[in-house]
Amino acid sequence: MLTPPHWNTLRALMDRLIPPDDFPGAWEAGVGDYLARQFERDLRPQLEMYRLGLEALEAEAQASAGIGFAALDIPAQDAVLRRIETGQVTAPWPVDPAGFFRLVTEHVMEGYYSDPGNGGNRDSIAWRMIGFEARE
Amino acid sequence: MTQYDVIIVGAGAGGGVAAGVLAEAGKRVLLLERGPHLTFGEDRHDHLRHQRFSRHGHNAGPEIEGNPRVAVDGQGQARVVRPHEDGYQNNAAVVGGGTRVYGAQAWRFLPQDFCMASLYGVPAGSSLADWPISYEELEPYYERAEWEIGVAGDSAASARHWPRRKGYPLPPLPVNTQGRALRAGASKLGWETLPIPALINTAPYNARPACIQCQYCVGFTCPVEAKNGTHNTLIARALATGRCELVTGARVARIDTDASGHISGVSYFDRGGKRQSARAEVVVCAGGAIETARLLLNSASPQHPGGLGNGHDQVGRHLQGHYYPAAIGLMSEPVYDGLGPGISTATVQFNHGNSDVLGGAMLANEFIVLPAIFWARQLPPDLPRWGLVNKRFMREAYTRVMRVTGPVQEIPSPEARVTLDPSVRDRWGIPVARLSGTTHPETVRTAAYVFGRAREWLEASGAVRVWGQPPGLHLSGGQHQAGTCRMGDDPQTSVVDRWGRVHGHDNLFVTDGSVHVTNGGFNPVLTILALAFRAAEHIAQSW
Repeated sequence: MLTPPHWNTLRALMDRLIPPDDFPGAWEAGVGDYLARQFERDLRPQLEMYRLGLEALEAEAQASAGIGFAALDIPAQDAVLRRIETGQVTAPWPVDPAGFFRLVTEHVMEGYYSDPGNGGNRDSIAWRMIGFEARE
Repeated sequence: MTQYDVIIVGAGAGGGVAAGVLAEAGKRVLLLERGPHLTFGEDRHDHLRHQRFSRHGHNAGPEIEGNPRVAVDGQGQARVVRPHEDGYQNNAAVVGGGTRVYGAQAWRFLPQDFCMASLYGVPAGSSLADWPISYEELEPYYERAEWEIGVAGDSAASARHWPRRKGYPLPPLPVNTQGRALRAGASKLGWETLPIPALINTAPYNARPACIQCQYCVGFTCPVEAKNGTHNTLIARALATGRCELVTGARVARIDTDASGHISGVSYFDRGGKRQSARAEVVVCAGGAIETARLLLNSASPQHPGGLGNGHDQVGRHLQGHYYPAAIGLMSEPVYDGLGPGISTATVQFNHGNSDVLGGAMLANEFIVLPAIFWARQLPPDLPRWGLVNKRFMREAYTRVMRVTGPVQEIPSPEARVTLDPSVRDRWGIPVARLSGTTHPETVRTAAYVFGRAREWLEASGAVRVWGQPPGLHLSGGQHQAGTCRMGDDPQTSVVDRWGRVHGHDNLFVTDGSVHVTNGGFNPVLTILALAFRAAEHIAQSW
């Protein structure tokens, strides 16, 4: 299981992957709910990778600024993520940083843009944003 | 033990047609299907688990656990893959097979598609060959498939490319916004277009209603049964005779032979895992090009040590599907109108007669693209994959992007093949399919040419930017899998004769895409259906 500190980091991470603007960011749109459901089924085998990756992300933020990732300002968060995305990390990473970043990005996008039945995309907000009609 | 006239293995396109034709001809039929009946609602509208996007599973089987295959990559590395993973080459495993959840494009192959070797010559290393039958011999059965299963299309436009005695039973799908843009572009280029023919009711037909134009078509069951497959036509007709027994959840282990080597029936595991045997005068294999080859190879006997029909090491070779080079264009105005299925307009201008490449492909616009697929597969390569820039592109571009692609006719290779894995077994202990090799490299050249035409079409249609990349050399099969029991007059170079009868056996037939010598530059289902009508009629007349 992910602990509250893990979730705190994950929430900040997903809101940089899909930031809020005049449409909700990932967290507000329910991507956290999507992932929580998926950690109990399809993503169960990847839960350990999430745990290790989120802890390494915290260590990366601490190494660069001396504070946790969620407490960084937005430009500093994005700078840390760009380093992880390209594998240019300074903290020790027990999982491949670029691979972790790619996978989390894919999962967050799945939660945001797939059907609300999967737990994310609350009230079909992502579909209304892009113009996909949800006629059944 | 129950005695049947015919046992059919696989209730998909080819098996479903065979069941209907043979049961109506008075035969007592046992139709065995490994999957279940899939009713609408069971597959939900789950955007992450369907036949087009199987990130976390499938809606139409086979079950994720217990059905592995082994995929061997270009470097010879073998890995065990599950049904929803890359390399598995999956097709739906439910009553109706692929027709239950397909996009239902209903193309005939062109007359030239039956004589590719004569037209183009045989490249070194390829097993390109002519079919033993011509388009003219298959034409009456194309017509039968179009009328008995139900195809919507533009009869006059079709007749400009295909000799045909009779039109379509249903008017074509409506032209949508993408179709109008592409027609204007084609007109600038001097290209001819036509509406995409589809196995979809555009008006009530066969006591079922017209399409309601929902956004979920390819990959899903139809909410109103306006999509025509074998499950709601020929299989329903077979069951209505009272002479066809359909058993779902039946995993056929082998085709049985008697002491003299004569085919006597099949052995299968029922839903409860109990081994059963059934006996019949005739056995028909229709499990798709991968599972049919696997079954024949798994049915070795003292008289057939290499498997049935495999005296000349042909079973499982020439595996082919289609290469899909896709160009994606950003238009200046929205081209999304939300009217399903979304496919509208095609050209068959580049199926043949292209200078310096062998064959070609039909090109067409795409089905409605679900947003999660759009993010995963259709974004420009230089767009950041996250952040506000990504979100804003999704928001501004989703309704303005149009994708043009088409199925490139593969140049077959004997090394693209299905064999039995020496160690991996499925849930029932049966050796699984091992997929190895690639199609012939000429296919890559043709795909690159076709990609150029797709790009040109989008640009002429007003795209402000076009991206995409033609495919590299790979093995394809998937939902268009074909070729592993190719049809031919010579038993040394083919597996079945011109009727689909396995060489060396008088009572063993194949009625699925396995028998295709080449797979056309088109979605192959109408050809599978037509060949199954022809083979089943022959079986009915012979027994």
